[in-house]
Amino acid sequence: MRELDVNHSIGDAETGLTTLIEMIETLSATRTINEVADVVRGAARRILDADGVAFVMRDKDLCWYVDEDAIGPLWKGKRFPMDQCVAGRVMKSGRVVVCPDIYADPDMPHDAYRPTFVKSLAIAPVRPRDPIAAIAVYWARPYDPPPEVLRKLQVVARATASALESGRLNDYLAASLEHGHFLLRELDHRVKNTLAIVQSITRQTLRTTPSPEAFADVFESRILALSQAHELLTRRAWGRPQLEEILQRTLATFADDVAGRFEVQGPAVAFSAETAVSVHMAIHELIANAARHGALSTPQGRVAIEWNVDKATAPGLLTLIWREQGGPALSGPPTRNGFGSKMVHQGLARDLGGQAVLDFAPTGLVFTLRAPLSERMSLAA
Amino acid sequence: MKTARVMIVEDEALVAMMVEDMLGDMGCEVAGSFGAVDAALAWLRDHPSPDGAVLDVNIGGEMVFPVAERLREQGVPFVFATGYGDLPRAGFESVQVLAKPINAGALRLAVERFRIG
Repeated sequence: MRELDVNHSIGDAETGLTTLIEMIETLSATRTINEVADVVRGAARRILDADGVAFVMRDKDLCWYVDEDAIGPLWKGKRFPMDQCVAGRVMKSGRVVVCPDIYADPDMPHDAYRPTFVKSLAIAPVRPRDPIAAIAVYWARPYDPPPEVLRKLQVVARATASALESGRLNDYLAASLEHGHFLLRELDHRVKNTLAIVQSITRQTLRTTPSPEAFADVFESRILALSQAHELLTRRAWGRPQLEEILQRTLATFADDVAGRFEVQGPAVAFSAETAVSVHMAIHELIANAARHGALSTPQGRVAIEWNVDKATAPGLLTLIWREQGGPALSGPPTRNGFGSKMVHQGLARDLGGQAVLDFAPTGLVFTLRAPLSERMSLAA
Repeated sequence: MKTARVMIVEDEALVAMMVEDMLGDMGCEVAGSFGAVDAALAWLRDHPSPDGAVLDVNIGGEMVFPVAERLREQGVPFVFATGYGDLPRAGFESVQVLAKPINAGALRLAVERFRIG
Protein backbone atom coordinates (compact mmCIF):
# COMPACT_ATOMS: atom_id res chain seq x y z
CA MET A 1 0.00 0.00 0.00
CA ARG A 2 1.25 3.51 -0.77
CA GLU A 3 -0.17 6.98 -0.50
CA LEU A 4 0.07 9.83 -2.98
CA ASP A 5 -0.44 13.56 -2.69
CA VAL A 6 -3.52 14.65 -4.53
CA ASN A 7 -2.32 18.02 -5.65
CA HIS A 8 0.38 17.24 -8.19
CA SER A 9 -0.53 18.47 -11.64
CA ILE A 10 -2.71 16.48 -13.96
CA GLY A 11 -0.95 15.77 -17.24
CA ASP A 12 -2.62 15.40 -20.61
CA ALA A 13 -5.02 12.58 -20.39
CA GLU A 14 -4.65 10.22 -23.34
CA THR A 15 -6.78 7.11 -23.51
CA GLY A 16 -10.31 7.42 -22.28
CA LEU A 17 -10.15 11.18 -22.73
CA THR A 18 -13.41 11.27 -24.63
CA THR A 19 -15.17 9.21 -21.96
CA LEU A 20 -13.77 11.53 -19.33
CA ILE A 21 -15.08 14.62 -21.13
CA GLU A 22 -18.45 12.98 -21.64
CA MET A 23 -18.58 12.12 -17.95
CA ILE A 24 -17.85 15.71 -16.96
CA GLU A 25 -20.54 16.97 -19.33
CA THR A 26 -23.07 14.48 -18.00
CA LEU A 27 -22.15 15.34 -14.41
CA SER A 28 -22.90 19.00 -15.02
CA ALA A 29 -26.56 18.07 -15.51
CA THR A 30 -26.86 15.95 -12.35
CA ARG A 31 -28.85 17.25 -9.37
CA THR A 32 -28.78 14.53 -6.72
CA ILE A 33 -26.15 12.34 -5.07
CA ASN A 34 -27.68 9.25 -6.67
CA GLU A 35 -27.48 10.77 -10.13
CA VAL A 36 -23.82 11.69 -9.55
CA ALA A 37 -23.05 8.19 -8.27
CA ASP A 38 -24.79 6.65 -11.26
CA VAL A 39 -22.74 8.64 -13.78
CA VAL A 40 -19.42 8.22 -11.97
CA ARG A 41 -19.49 4.49 -11.32
CA GLY A 42 -19.91 3.48 -14.98
CA ALA A 43 -17.70 6.17 -16.50
CA ALA A 44 -14.87 5.64 -14.01
CA ARG A 45 -14.85 1.92 -14.69
CA ARG A 46 -14.47 2.51 -18.44
CA ILE A 47 -11.95 5.34 -18.12
CA LEU A 48 -9.73 3.41 -15.72
CA ASP A 49 -10.25 0.03 -17.38
CA ALA A 50 -11.17 -1.44 -13.99
CA ASP A 51 -13.16 -4.52 -12.95
CA GLY A 52 -15.19 -2.58 -10.44
CA VAL A 53 -15.88 0.91 -9.12
CA ALA A 54 -17.62 1.86 -5.88
CA PHE A 55 -18.98 5.29 -5.00
CA VAL A 56 -18.56 5.79 -1.25
CA MET A 57 -19.96 8.69 0.77
CA ARG A 58 -19.11 9.83 4.26
CA ASP A 59 -22.13 9.46 6.55
CA LYS A 60 -20.91 10.94 9.86
CA ASP A 61 -18.66 8.21 11.31
CA LEU A 62 -19.55 5.65 8.67
CA CYS A 63 -18.51 4.85 5.11
CA TRP A 64 -21.59 4.39 3.00
CA TYR A 65 -21.25 2.35 -0.19
CA VAL A 66 -23.84 4.26 -2.21
CA ASP A 67 -23.44 2.57 -5.58
CA GLU A 68 -21.15 0.27 -7.55
CA ASP A 69 -20.44 -1.02 -11.04
CA ALA A 70 -18.43 -4.25 -11.01
CA ILE A 71 -18.05 -7.75 -12.42
CA GLY A 72 -19.20 -9.17 -9.07
CA PRO A 73 -21.02 -7.88 -5.99
CA LEU A 74 -19.15 -5.57 -3.63
CA TRP A 75 -20.75 -3.71 -0.72
CA LYS A 76 -23.55 -1.63 -2.26
CA GLY A 77 -25.90 -0.13 0.34
CA LYS A 78 -23.70 -1.15 3.29
CA ARG A 79 -22.17 1.12 5.91
CA PHE A 80 -18.89 0.45 7.74
CA PRO A 81 -17.08 2.33 10.53
CA MET A 82 -14.60 4.79 9.00
CA ASP A 83 -11.52 3.20 10.56
CA GLN A 84 -12.41 -0.35 9.53
CA CYS A 85 -12.62 0.50 5.86
CA VAL A 86 -9.88 1.62 3.41
CA ALA A 87 -12.24 4.18 1.82
CA GLY A 88 -12.81 5.52 5.35
CA ARG A 89 -9.06 5.96 5.83
CA VAL A 90 -8.91 7.80 2.48
CA MET A 91 -11.74 10.12 3.52
CA LYS A 92 -10.00 10.83 6.83
CA SER A 93 -6.51 11.51 5.40
CA GLY A 94 -7.58 13.13 2.12
CA ARG A 95 -4.88 11.10 0.32
CA VAL A 96 -5.10 8.58 -2.50
CA VAL A 97 -4.46 4.98 -1.44
CA VAL A 98 -3.08 2.40 -3.88
CA CYS A 99 -2.71 -1.30 -3.06
CA PRO A 100 -1.30 -3.43 -5.94
CA ASP A 101 -1.72 -6.73 -4.08
CA ILE A 102 -4.20 -6.82 -1.22
CA TYR A 103 -3.27 -10.25 0.16
CA ALA A 104 0.42 -9.36 0.19
CA ASP A 105 -0.27 -6.29 2.30
CA PRO A 106 -0.71 -6.92 6.07
CA ASP A 107 -2.36 -3.49 6.52
CA MET A 108 -5.37 -4.47 4.41
CA PRO A 109 -8.52 -5.98 5.98
CA HIS A 110 -8.31 -9.30 4.13
CA ASP A 111 -11.58 -10.67 5.52
CA ALA A 112 -13.50 -7.80 3.96
CA TYR A 113 -12.17 -8.63 0.49
CA ARG A 114 -12.33 -12.41 0.66
CA PRO A 115 -16.00 -12.73 -0.46
CA THR A 116 -15.25 -10.48 -3.48
CA PHE A 117 -13.21 -10.63 -6.69
CA VAL A 118 -10.96 -7.77 -5.57
CA LYS A 119 -7.18 -8.33 -5.66
CA SER A 120 -5.91 -4.75 -6.06
CA LEU A 121 -7.31 -1.26 -5.63
CA ALA A 122 -6.88 2.49 -5.85
CA ILE A 123 -9.11 4.86 -3.87
CA ALA A 124 -9.22 8.64 -4.30
CA PRO A 125 -10.90 11.16 -1.99
CA VAL A 126 -13.52 13.51 -3.40
CA ARG A 127 -12.64 17.08 -2.27
CA PRO A 128 -9.28 16.17 -0.65
CA ARG A 129 -9.18 19.11 1.79
CA ASP A 130 -12.44 18.06 3.43
CA PRO A 131 -13.45 14.74 1.89
CA ILE A 132 -17.17 14.08 1.48
CA ALA A 133 -16.84 10.96 -0.65
CA ALA A 134 -14.37 8.54 -2.19
CA ILE A 135 -14.13 6.75 -5.51
CA ALA A 136 -12.78 3.23 -5.16
CA VAL A 137 -11.45 1.35 -8.19
CA TYR A 138 -10.87 -2.41 -8.07
CA TRP A 139 -9.13 -4.97 -10.23
CA ALA A 140 -9.59 -8.76 -10.17
CA ARG A 141 -5.80 -9.31 -10.46
CA PRO A 142 -2.78 -7.92 -8.68
CA TYR A 143 -2.17 -4.65 -10.52
CA ASP A 144 -0.06 -1.59 -9.92
CA PRO A 145 -1.87 1.23 -11.74
CA PRO A 146 0.56 3.47 -13.64
CA PRO A 147 0.69 7.22 -12.87
CA GLU A 148 -1.60 8.18 -15.79
CA VAL A 149 -4.34 5.91 -14.47
CA LEU A 150 -4.05 7.50 -11.04
CA ARG A 151 -4.15 10.96 -12.60
CA LYS A 152 -7.36 10.07 -14.44
CA LEU A 153 -8.80 8.77 -11.19
CA GLN A 154 -8.07 12.14 -9.62
CA VAL A 155 -9.74 13.98 -12.50
CA VAL A 156 -12.81 11.80 -12.00
CA ALA A 157 -12.70 12.63 -8.27
CA ARG A 158 -12.44 16.37 -8.94
CA ALA A 159 -15.33 16.33 -11.40
CA THR A 160 -17.35 14.40 -8.84
CA ALA A 161 -16.55 16.97 -6.16
CA SER A 162 -17.81 19.84 -8.28
CA ALA A 163 -20.93 17.89 -9.27
CA LEU A 164 -21.71 17.19 -5.59
CA GLU A 165 -21.07 20.84 -4.76
CA SER A 166 -23.42 22.10 -7.44
CA GLY A 167 -25.98 19.51 -6.30
CA ARG A 168 -25.73 20.97 -2.82
CA LEU A 169 -26.00 24.49 -4.15
CA ASN A 170 -29.04 23.46 -6.15
CA ASP A 171 -30.68 21.94 -3.04
CA TYR A 172 -29.85 25.06 -1.07
CA LEU A 173 -31.34 27.35 -3.72
CA ALA A 174 -34.47 25.23 -4.02
CA ALA A 175 -34.88 25.27 -0.22
CA SER A 176 -34.31 29.06 -0.08
CA LEU A 177 -36.86 29.63 -2.79
CA GLU A 178 -39.36 27.41 -1.01
CA HIS A 179 -38.67 29.23 2.26
CA GLY A 180 -39.21 32.57 0.51
CA HIS A 181 -42.61 31.40 -0.74
CA PHE A 182 -43.47 30.14 2.73
CA LEU A 183 -42.57 33.53 4.24
CA LEU A 184 -44.74 35.34 1.69
CA ARG A 185 -47.75 33.13 2.50
CA GLU A 186 -47.13 33.59 6.21
CA LEU A 187 -46.82 37.36 5.77
CA ASP A 188 -50.10 37.42 3.83
CA HIS A 189 -51.76 35.54 6.69
CA ARG A 190 -50.33 37.80 9.37
CA VAL A 191 -51.24 40.98 7.53
CA LYS A 192 -54.82 39.77 7.15
CA ASN A 193 -54.99 38.73 10.78
CA THR A 194 -53.63 42.09 11.87
CA LEU A 195 -56.17 43.85 9.67
CA ALA A 196 -58.88 41.77 11.32
CA ILE A 197 -57.59 42.97 14.71
CA VAL A 198 -57.66 46.56 13.47
CA GLN A 199 -61.20 45.94 12.22
CA SER A 200 -62.13 44.70 15.69
CA ILE A 201 -60.52 47.67 17.43
CA THR A 202 -62.33 50.04 15.06
CA ARG A 203 -65.75 48.54 15.68
CA GLN A 204 -65.31 48.26 19.44
CA THR A 205 -63.93 51.78 19.76
CA LEU A 206 -66.83 53.11 17.73
CA ARG A 207 -69.27 51.42 20.09
CA THR A 208 -67.86 53.05 23.21
CA THR A 209 -66.84 56.57 22.20
CA PRO A 210 -69.37 59.43 22.19
CA SER A 211 -67.84 61.69 19.49
CA PRO A 212 -65.57 61.54 16.45
CA GLU A 213 -62.90 63.44 18.43
CA ALA A 214 -63.02 60.95 21.27
CA PHE A 215 -62.99 58.12 18.73
CA ALA A 216 -59.86 59.48 17.05
CA ASP A 217 -57.97 59.81 20.37
CA VAL A 218 -58.83 56.39 21.73
CA PHE A 219 -58.52 54.62 18.37
CA GLU A 220 -55.08 56.09 17.73
CA SER A 221 -53.83 55.13 21.14
CA ARG A 222 -55.01 51.53 20.57
CA ILE A 223 -53.44 51.33 17.12
CA LEU A 224 -50.17 52.62 18.59
CA ALA A 225 -50.35 49.91 21.26
CA LEU A 226 -50.92 47.30 18.54
CA SER A 227 -47.95 48.68 16.66
CA GLN A 228 -45.79 48.43 19.81
CA ALA A 229 -46.90 44.84 20.25
CA HIS A 230 -45.75 44.07 16.71
CA GLU A 231 -42.46 45.85 17.28
CA LEU A 232 -41.76 43.53 20.21
CA LEU A 233 -42.68 40.51 18.11
CA THR A 234 -40.41 41.60 15.29
CA ARG A 235 -37.57 42.22 17.71
CA ARG A 236 -37.89 38.64 18.81
CA ALA A 237 -38.36 37.38 15.23
CA TRP A 238 -41.91 36.29 16.15
CA GLY A 239 -40.46 34.47 19.13
CA ARG A 240 -41.84 34.69 22.67
CA PRO A 241 -42.00 38.19 24.20
CA GLN A 242 -41.78 38.38 27.98
CA LEU A 243 -44.26 39.98 30.37
CA GLU A 244 -41.61 42.30 31.80
CA GLU A 245 -40.71 43.78 28.39
CA ILE A 246 -44.38 44.19 27.43
CA LEU A 247 -44.93 46.07 30.69
CA GLN A 248 -41.84 48.27 30.26
CA ARG A 249 -42.92 49.14 26.71
CA THR A 250 -46.52 49.99 27.61
CA LEU A 251 -45.79 51.74 30.91
CA ALA A 252 -43.30 54.11 29.27
CA THR A 253 -46.07 55.42 27.01
CA PHE A 254 -48.09 56.71 29.96
CA ALA A 255 -45.57 57.80 32.56
CA ASP A 256 -42.21 59.53 32.29
CA ASP A 257 -41.22 58.32 35.72
CA VAL A 258 -41.85 54.60 35.28
CA ALA A 259 -39.69 53.59 38.25
CA GLY A 260 -41.41 56.08 40.56
CA ARG A 261 -44.93 55.20 39.43
CA PHE A 262 -44.79 51.46 39.03
CA GLU A 263 -43.57 48.57 41.05
CA VAL A 264 -43.09 45.60 38.75
CA GLN A 265 -42.12 42.25 40.18
CA GLY A 266 -42.35 38.65 39.09
CA PRO A 267 -40.52 35.73 37.51
CA ALA A 268 -39.73 35.69 33.77
CA VAL A 269 -42.89 34.65 31.92
CA ALA A 270 -43.09 34.47 28.11
CA PHE A 271 -46.04 34.37 25.70
CA SER A 272 -46.72 32.95 22.26
CA ALA A 273 -46.82 35.58 19.52
CA GLU A 274 -50.65 35.69 19.32
CA THR A 275 -51.16 35.78 23.08
CA ALA A 276 -48.50 38.48 23.46
CA VAL A 277 -50.73 40.77 21.35
CA SER A 278 -53.70 40.13 23.69
CA VAL A 279 -51.54 40.72 26.75
CA HIS A 280 -50.17 43.91 25.26
CA MET A 281 -53.62 45.25 24.40
CA ALA A 282 -55.07 44.30 27.81
CA ILE A 283 -52.22 46.03 29.68
CA HIS A 284 -52.60 49.04 27.40
CA GLU A 285 -56.26 49.28 28.38
CA LEU A 286 -55.47 48.98 32.10
CA ILE A 287 -52.89 51.75 31.86
CA ALA A 288 -55.09 53.99 29.71
CA ASN A 289 -57.86 53.53 32.25
CA ALA A 290 -55.49 54.31 35.14
CA ALA A 291 -54.39 57.48 33.32
CA ARG A 292 -57.98 58.62 32.71
CA HIS A 293 -59.74 57.64 35.93
CA GLY A 294 -57.31 55.80 38.20
CA ALA A 295 -54.00 56.06 39.99
CA LEU A 296 -52.13 57.69 37.11
CA SER A 297 -54.64 60.58 37.02
CA THR A 298 -53.13 62.06 40.19
CA PRO A 299 -49.48 63.02 40.80
CA GLN A 300 -49.07 60.73 43.80
CA GLY A 301 -50.83 57.63 42.47
CA ARG A 302 -48.91 54.39 42.03
CA VAL A 303 -49.48 50.97 40.51
CA ALA A 304 -48.02 47.74 41.86
CA ILE A 305 -47.90 44.89 39.33
CA GLU A 306 -46.85 41.62 40.85
CA TRP A 307 -47.10 38.08 39.67
CA ASN A 308 -45.96 34.64 40.70
CA VAL A 309 -46.29 31.08 39.48
CA ASP A 310 -47.50 28.37 41.83
CA LYS A 311 -45.84 25.16 40.69
CA ALA A 312 -47.48 22.96 43.33
CA THR A 313 -49.91 21.60 40.77
CA ALA A 314 -48.96 20.83 37.17
CA PRO A 315 -48.82 22.68 34.81
CA GLY A 316 -48.41 25.60 37.25
CA LEU A 317 -50.75 28.50 37.92
CA LEU A 318 -49.94 32.15 37.31
CA THR A 319 -51.47 34.79 39.55
CA LEU A 320 -51.02 38.39 38.50
CA ILE A 321 -52.24 41.29 40.59
CA TRP A 322 -52.45 44.87 39.34
CA ARG A 323 -53.12 47.15 42.31
CA GLU A 324 -53.67 50.88 41.98
CA GLN A 325 -53.11 53.16 44.99
CA GLY A 326 -53.13 56.86 45.67
CA GLY A 327 -55.59 57.74 42.94
CA PRO A 328 -59.04 59.29 43.35
CA ALA A 329 -61.52 57.29 45.44
CA LEU A 330 -63.61 55.00 43.23
CA SER A 331 -67.34 54.78 43.61
CA GLY A 332 -67.76 51.23 42.33
CA PRO A 333 -67.65 49.73 38.85
CA PRO A 334 -68.42 51.87 35.79
CA THR A 335 -72.01 51.82 34.59
CA ARG A 336 -71.17 50.10 31.33
CA ASN A 337 -68.48 47.66 30.33
CA GLY A 338 -66.04 49.27 27.93
CA PHE A 339 -63.51 47.79 25.60
CA GLY A 340 -60.94 47.63 28.39
CA SER A 341 -62.92 45.35 30.68
CA LYS A 342 -63.93 43.22 27.70
CA MET A 343 -60.32 42.97 26.61
CA VAL A 344 -59.38 41.80 30.08
CA HIS A 345 -62.22 39.29 30.51
CA GLN A 346 -63.15 38.06 27.05
CA GLY A 347 -59.71 38.72 25.61
CA LEU A 348 -56.91 37.91 27.98
CA ALA A 349 -58.62 35.44 30.32
CA ARG A 350 -60.19 33.56 27.40
CA ASP A 351 -56.90 33.44 25.53
CA LEU A 352 -55.10 31.97 28.53
CA GLY A 353 -57.93 29.72 29.67
CA GLY A 354 -58.02 31.51 33.04
CA GLN A 355 -60.10 33.93 35.08
CA ALA A 356 -59.89 37.68 35.41
CA VAL A 357 -61.46 39.79 38.16
CA LEU A 358 -61.75 43.59 38.11
CA ASP A 359 -62.39 44.89 41.62
CA PHE A 360 -63.28 48.60 41.71
CA ALA A 361 -62.32 49.02 45.36
CA PRO A 362 -62.66 52.55 46.87
CA THR A 363 -58.85 52.70 47.34
CA GLY A 364 -58.21 51.90 43.70
CA LEU A 365 -58.69 49.30 41.00
CA VAL A 366 -57.42 45.79 41.70
CA PHE A 367 -57.16 43.49 38.71
CA THR A 368 -56.42 39.84 39.36
CA LEU A 369 -55.63 37.29 36.65
CA ARG A 370 -55.32 33.58 37.34
CA ALA A 371 -54.38 31.30 34.47
CA PRO A 372 -52.62 27.97 34.00
CA LEU A 373 -49.24 27.81 32.27
CA SER A 374 -49.50 26.44 28.74
CA GLU A 375 -47.88 26.70 25.32
CA ARG A 376 -49.33 30.21 25.20
CA MET A 377 -47.82 31.31 28.52
CA SER A 378 -44.76 29.66 30.01
CA LEU A 379 -41.94 30.34 32.44
CA ALA A 380 -39.00 31.68 30.47
CA ALA A 381 -35.52 30.27 30.95
CA MET B 1 -87.47 34.20 13.07
CA LYS B 2 -85.89 32.17 15.86
CA THR B 3 -82.67 33.29 17.54
CA ALA B 4 -79.74 31.29 16.17
CA ARG B 5 -77.32 29.99 18.79
CA VAL B 6 -73.87 30.26 17.24
CA MET B 7 -70.55 28.81 18.38
CA ILE B 8 -67.24 30.61 17.75
CA VAL B 9 -63.78 29.05 17.65
CA GLU B 10 -61.13 31.74 17.19
CA ASP B 11 -57.73 32.02 18.86
CA GLU B 12 -57.28 35.73 18.29
CA ALA B 13 -59.15 37.24 21.24
CA LEU B 14 -59.77 40.60 19.59
CA VAL B 15 -61.19 39.00 16.46
CA ALA B 16 -63.39 36.75 18.61
CA MET B 17 -64.75 39.80 20.45
CA MET B 18 -65.66 41.39 17.14
CA VAL B 19 -67.36 38.27 15.78
CA GLU B 20 -69.32 38.03 19.03
CA ASP B 21 -70.47 41.64 18.61
CA MET B 22 -71.32 41.15 14.94
CA LEU B 23 -73.38 38.06 15.70
CA GLY B 24 -75.10 39.89 18.56
CA ASP B 25 -75.98 42.73 16.18
CA MET B 26 -77.48 40.19 13.79
CA GLY B 27 -79.77 38.93 16.52
CA CYS B 28 -77.84 35.76 17.26
CA GLU B 29 -76.95 34.39 20.62
CA VAL B 30 -73.30 33.43 21.16
CA ALA B 31 -73.68 29.88 22.45
CA GLY B 32 -69.99 29.55 23.24
CA SER B 33 -66.73 31.22 22.21
CA PHE B 34 -63.48 29.26 22.41
CA GLY B 35 -59.82 29.99 21.79
CA ALA B 36 -58.67 26.36 21.80
CA VAL B 37 -59.70 23.18 19.97
CA ASP B 38 -59.83 21.11 23.19
CA ALA B 39 -62.11 23.59 24.95
CA ALA B 40 -64.47 23.66 21.95
CA LEU B 41 -64.64 19.84 21.77
CA ALA B 42 -65.25 19.57 25.53
CA TRP B 43 -68.09 22.09 25.30
CA LEU B 44 -69.70 20.23 22.39
CA ARG B 45 -69.65 17.02 24.43
CA ASP B 46 -71.76 18.39 27.30
CA HIS B 47 -73.99 20.97 25.65
CA PRO B 48 -76.88 20.87 23.21
CA SER B 49 -75.75 21.37 19.60
CA PRO B 50 -75.62 25.00 18.48
CA ASP B 51 -77.50 26.12 15.35
CA GLY B 52 -74.30 27.08 13.55
CA ALA B 53 -70.62 27.83 14.02
CA VAL B 54 -67.91 30.23 12.81
CA LEU B 55 -64.53 28.48 12.89
CA ASP B 56 -61.06 29.95 12.45
CA VAL B 57 -58.94 27.26 10.78
CA ASN B 58 -55.55 27.56 12.47
CA ILE B 59 -56.07 27.74 16.23
CA GLY B 60 -52.71 28.55 17.78
CA GLY B 61 -50.98 26.11 15.42
CA GLU B 62 -53.66 23.46 15.79
CA MET B 63 -56.15 22.74 13.01
CA VAL B 64 -59.82 23.21 13.82
CA PHE B 65 -60.86 20.14 11.80
CA PRO B 66 -61.74 17.86 14.77
CA VAL B 67 -64.34 20.47 15.77
CA ALA B 68 -65.60 20.67 12.17
CA GLU B 69 -65.84 16.87 12.09
CA ARG B 70 -67.92 16.79 15.28
CA LEU B 71 -70.24 19.55 14.04
CA ARG B 72 -70.78 17.67 10.77
CA GLU B 73 -71.66 14.51 12.71
CA GLN B 74 -74.17 16.55 14.69
CA GLY B 75 -75.60 18.09 11.52
CA VAL B 76 -74.62 21.61 12.57
CA PRO B 77 -73.91 24.02 9.66
CA PHE B 78 -70.68 26.04 9.92
CA VAL B 79 -68.35 28.39 8.02
CA PHE B 80 -64.60 28.88 8.19
CA ALA B 81 -63.14 32.34 8.83
CA THR B 82 -59.45 32.50 7.98
CA GLY B 83 -56.66 34.82 6.91
CA TYR B 84 -54.97 31.97 5.03
CA GLY B 85 -55.74 32.20 1.32
CA ASP B 86 -55.04 28.59 0.43
CA LEU B 87 -55.17 26.42 3.52
CA PRO B 88 -55.63 22.72 2.80
CA ARG B 89 -58.95 21.53 4.20
CA ALA B 90 -59.27 17.93 3.18
CA GLY B 91 -62.86 16.74 3.39
CA PHE B 92 -64.25 20.24 3.90
CA GLU B 93 -63.80 21.67 0.40
CA SER B 94 -67.49 22.50 0.13
CA VAL B 95 -67.62 24.51 3.36
CA GLN B 96 -67.94 28.27 2.84
CA VAL B 97 -64.85 30.32 3.74
CA LEU B 98 -65.11 33.88 5.08
CA ALA B 99 -61.94 35.86 4.50
CA LYS B 100 -60.34 38.00 7.20
CA PRO B 101 -60.88 40.85 7.82
CA ILE B 102 -64.49 39.69 8.05
CA ASN B 103 -67.09 41.07 5.70
CA ALA B 104 -70.16 41.61 7.90
CA GLY B 105 -72.48 41.14 4.88
CA ALA B 106 -70.98 37.74 4.09
CA LEU B 107 -71.27 36.73 7.74
CA ARG B 108 -74.92 37.81 7.74
CA LEU B 109 -75.69 35.61 4.73
CA ALA B 110 -73.99 32.65 6.42
CA VAL B 111 -75.98 33.23 9.60
CA GLU B 112 -79.19 33.37 7.63
CA ARG B 113 -78.47 29.86 6.39
CA PHE B 114 -77.89 28.72 9.99
CA ARG B 115 -81.43 29.90 10.79
CA ILE B 116 -82.91 27.97 7.89
CA GLY B 117 -80.86 24.93 8.81
